[in-house]
Amino acid sequence: MYKSTGFISFVLRRFTGVALVLYLFMHILVIGSATQGAAAFDATLKVVQGPLFKIMEIALIAAVAYHAFDGVRLLIVHYFNVIDYRKSMFYAAFAVAAFFTAIGGVLILQALLYHA
Amino acid sequence: MPDSHPLPTTATVRVQRFNPDNDKKPRIQEFKVPLTADTTILDALHYIKAELDGSLTFRRSCRHAICGSCAMNVNGRNMLVCKTPLTRELDQQARVTIKPLPYLPIIKDLVVDRSSFWEQYQRVKPWLIPPDNVPEKEFRVSPEEVEALHNAETCIMCGACYSACQVIAMTKEYIGPHALLKAFLRVLDPRDAAPGERLADLDGGDGVYRCHTIFNCIDACPKNLNPTQAIETLRKLAQKRQAYEVERAERQKTLTQPVK
Amino acid sequence: MRIFQMQRISAIALLVFLGIHMAVMHYPPWEIDFRTVVIERLSSPIWKVIDIAFLFFVLMHALTGAYVVLTDIQRVNTYKRVLAGAAIVLGIAGFIYGTATIMAFQPPV
Repeated sequence: MYKSTGFISFVLRRFTGVALVLYLFMHILVIGSATQGAAAFDATLKVVQGPLFKIMEIALIAAVAYHAFDGVRLLIVHYFNVIDYRKSMFYAAFAVAAFFTAIGGVLILQALLYHA
Repeated sequence: MPDSHPLPTTATVRVQRFNPDNDKKPRIQEFKVPLTADTTILDALHYIKAELDGSLTFRRSCRHAICGSCAMNVNGRNMLVCKTPLTRELDQQARVTIKPLPYLPIIKDLVVDRSSFWEQYQRVKPWLIPPDNVPEKEFRVSPEEVEALHNAETCIMCGACYSACQVIAMTKEYIGPHALLKAFLRVLDPRDAAPGERLADLDGGDGVYRCHTIFNCIDACPKNLNPTQAIETLRKLAQKRQAYEVERAERQKTLTQPVK
Repeated sequence: MRIFQMQRISAIALLVFLGIHMAVMHYPPWEIDFRTVVIERLSSPIWKVIDIAFLFFVLMHALTGAYVVLTDIQRVNTYKRVLAGAAIVLGIAGFIYGTATIMAFQPPV
């Protein structure tokens, strides 16, 4: 392994990307229960809105946020000449993703604790 | 110059050894070498080969960072060992670890098989394809046009970027940063008559779009070149290939006249 | 090459659509059912169009991404035509099924 910030971002991007593809198809199938009517949809949604899934959704937020902001970083690299700042841009993308994950995580935990 | 940390008199050099006749997989061997402030890593390897173990195998030639033979992986970074002081790479216990360039087949000890490196290099036709109207005396290229090529022309083909590239680790079908940098040099050269042809090849599945902007090539380059920026430029040019060809043909009509 | 451009275009589209999606779907108390979805959004044709566009871009981004991840591996790249075919089939199937799902959110509930 040739380790660098670029390598770490690449591995994380691919890992979250593959995880999100798998999630996407699961998501399509779950919401697809609406084609069988309102009752089937509500029954399925009851399952995936349980506490365990809520906790797992924090990981989902982290994956989406990291993948999104790393993608923004890459778009900036593609269209602007900012390669000299590659390391700080990686840390910035990571920090912004962590920030959004923290907000989402706190909101989810609050909802779990006070609305349960 | 006073130094608050007196230099240790010996350094421990950990070298990855591999003899295809006896070894199944590479192993690390430690050597003690004398250390002075101006010992380079290549000096340490020379000392080991001359005084401690004559069977140690490595490539080197010019000893002043222009032949590109001695690129190796030192403490996980690719570099030219001839221009790297040993003291810079030593850790707290005065140790350094030297391995061959990663992701390439090892022939023996620190020597790797660079066939794929050269095959991809040849693939981009690294030579200049001159226009039909070759002038009697000289081409007149503007300072701006020369400046644009500056990023690419000092490459010494050492392979540090190629073997640092994570994409190369996964597929040897990728053209690679070294060859793309050379392609950049030729595509941007106003004297080159076939930029469209070149861009068409780079535009394929193994070309510029295999680069995932990991920047390892920039980190590894001992000449501080920037293959990633070159690849970004080639991507943009590949998207307007036809317009670029027309532009080049137009430019070459005035290539033998003095620059205004 | 086209796949690269498809990925960047869908990436930019997703930044917009995913932002909308997160803002309107996901906030405390995080409970939705068929009725709330229909009443709050999906009885309106504009929201249906937005969701179908979102579905289109997310499938494009996911499948081109998965294709690139797989074909970056030299041994897998031998089967790139099979993979491309599978991605197109999966994309069309996902789009039809997803559109049917979006259209299924109809009043009265």
